Amino acid sequence: MFLSDFRKEFYERVLLLVASDVDALCACKILQALFQCDHVQYTLVPVSGWQELETAFLEHKDQFQYFVLINCGANVDLLEILQPEEDAFFFICDTHRPINVVNVYNETQIKLLVKQDDDLEIPAYDDIFRDEEEDEDDSGNESDGSEPSGKRKRFEEDIMERTMKRRQRREWEARRREILFDYEQYEYHGTSSAMVMFDLAWIMSKDLNDMLWWAIVGLTDQWVQDKITQMKYVTDIGTLQRHVSRHNHRNEDEENSLSIDCMRIAFEYDLRLALYQHWSLFESLCNTCYTSASLKLWSVQGQKRLQEFFADMGLPLKQVKQKFNSMDISLKENLQEMIEESASKFGMKNLRVQTFSIHFGFKNKFLASDIVYSTASLMENIEKDEPGTDNFIKALDSLSRSNLDKLHQGLELAKKQLRAIQQTVASCICTNLVISQGPFLYCYLMEGTPDVKLFSKPVSLCLLSKYLLKSFVCSTKNKRCKLLPLIVAAPMDVEQGTVIMVGIPPETESSDKKNFFGRAFEKAAESTNSRTLHNHFDMSIIELKMEDRSKFLDALISLLS
Amino acid sequence: MFGERAAELVRGLHRAADGHLPAFNEDGIRQVLEEMKALYEQNQADVNEAKSGRSDLIRAIKFRHCSLLRNRRCVVAYLYDRLLWIRALRWEYGSVLPNDLRFHMSAEETEWFNQYKKSLATYMRSLGGEEGLDLTQDMKPPKSLYIEVRCLKDHGEFEIDDGTTILLKKNSQHFLPRWKCEQLIRQGVLEHVLS
Repeated sequence: MFLSDFRKEFYERVLLLVASDVDALCACKILQALFQCDHVQYTLVPVSGWQELETAFLEHKDQFQYFVLINCGANVDLLEILQPEEDAFFFICDTHRPINVVNVYNETQIKLLVKQDDDLEIPAYDDIFRDEEEDEDDSGNESDGSEPSGKRKRFEEDIMERTMKRRQRREWEARRREILFDYEQYEYHGTSSAMVMFDLAWIMSKDLNDMLWWAIVGLTDQWVQDKITQMKYVTDIGTLQRHVSRHNHRNEDEENSLSIDCMRIAFEYDLRLALYQHWSLFESLCNTCYTSASLKLWSVQGQKRLQEFFADMGLPLKQVKQKFNSMDISLKENLQEMIEESASKFGMKNLRVQTFSIHFGFKNKFLASDIVYSTASLMENIEKDEPGTDNFIKALDSLSRSNLDKLHQGLELAKKQLRAIQQTVASCICTNLVISQGPFLYCYLMEGTPDVKLFSKPVSLCLLSKYLLKSFVCSTKNKRCKLLPLIVAAPMDVEQGTVIMVGIPPETESSDKKNFFGRAFEKAAESTNSRTLHNHFDMSIIELKMEDRSKFLDALISLLS
Repeated sequence: MFGERAAELVRGLHRAADGHLPAFNEDGIRQVLEEMKALYEQNQADVNEAKSGRSDLIRAIKFRHCSLLRNRRCVVAYLYDRLLWIRALRWEYGSVLPNDLRFHMSAEETEWFNQYKKSLATYMRSLGGEEGLDLTQDMKPPKSLYIEVRCLKDHGEFEIDDGTTILLKKNSQHFLPRWKCEQLIRQGVLEHVLS
């Protein structure tokens, strides 16, 4: 059931189960701040997949009655998987859609924290649930003292009635299957959990600038990972913009402005070059997917075009390759407008994007996307072989403003990650590793590929796949291939011989980001008896054994053709 | 000299003021009391004689009387100072004292300590509604009643006074009342998170 009054029904001693993505981390930070304000005792356990969720639940179920799940649990029948007691309550704040119908219609144990104006298209209750009606039994046909012919007639009528009922029931079930199939076919994402949590804070009048910043980072994470449509992003930015001006209006007034050390958020219509203020402009242009794909930087011609681009803007190469902060001020002054003008000449019309930036102190200015890249790379850091929960804690810490060293560490890791992605994309395109299998494109990263260990983590692999698809669409001349979705597979654990496979929807201008690979993977795994593990909260990411790869793909091809 | 041993008692206590409570100086007290008894008896005899005429003993009587008063004052100061010290121990250590301190107290002092504990407990229970209020926890008002802690190693289940158990797994974070966590923080199992 949907929770209408967040405040009254929400607070007690609580177990927080948080998924491993940046949006969940931001939502978690906001919720932690609210709990600390009200002295609600909680325990926070990070989970990265269904198995960890189940383990954590089993370990803690005797001690807690209230469970809050962030970015996990909405898209499956939770009560069946976890088998909780009668008095356990689950509060689910999850962006995964479609929400499982059992979760929607359960009145007692499951409470969903979802914005009501998210269009959910939930099927009506009567279309999918039906009370079990006993079939009328024949023995109810006692008749005393009526004529034999009358009895036979009634008997025939009864048979007619029963067959009609059975036929109705079968029709109803067929329609139900169809409705459920349509409802659950495509996966997509709803409003960011961090924004939902910020709304909760706002309703309670406990919202702070810090929480607003985390909500912004949560939304930006959805945009960076291409989980929401451009329209939704712009709408949500508008919502947040109102909150930003409410919290940060004092800066515009010269007399009453705050000290430079106070944290302030500002709306920016800034370049979408990744990390450009913490890197050099040259590197940033080379390693941002949008520019690299549009200029086709994997080819020699592309490199020439890049140089022409800089020449067009009047920026000397020496300046551009320096750290951004050391560039000449005269060049930085109108940088954004200059770049936008030149970019439209080279076919890049959307180089600027609406976003927010944060300032505190003299040195510290960050865009929301910088924080997203930094936190995501901290969370999937493979440098030291630490367990996943260590990375989660580090990433969680880096979101606090007092842990700037972790943030900077994250930025360095993000730069490495982006470079690795671009190099992998370039080599895949140059060596034609992306092949069309009919209904989809397929790419497999061989074991010896440099940095392939980086791509054994789901979020990095998804980022790589999206960049690869965008670049491929720009590079290929085949019109049909431009509309196909993509599946990328990379080795996950060499010793156990497993492979991680990700499916993403096709890249089109007005894409609604709906992904059908979740169901497709499930069906293909069933039909071929492949040894697959659907452990991730996103159904379109699975792990399977290397040997089963080819028959799995064949099954997929026949399923989707 | 009269009063020497009494002064020795007080000096001994004063010297030990920075360290632990010293053992009850049974011997010293006994000696001082014997001296006082001897002085008193001598004074008794002299007073009887002075009543029957000999007035030159009056100065000696006065002198002994002063020594008696001096001895009494020292002994009382000694006992009282120890009591104050023992009272402070209750606030520092809690209701169960470490063994070596207990052996340093005399039987009467132990009795006094138990009575004091009982008084304090009755008073604390009478405050703050049903459960009472433990005044001995924080001498200064704490900055926050609840703190956020992070678990550094797998510690298994941890039971708190009011019966709730918490599972302490590595890298889980908890938000608990301060007094529940302090012992574990001291042991190094939990880490206080300041964000």
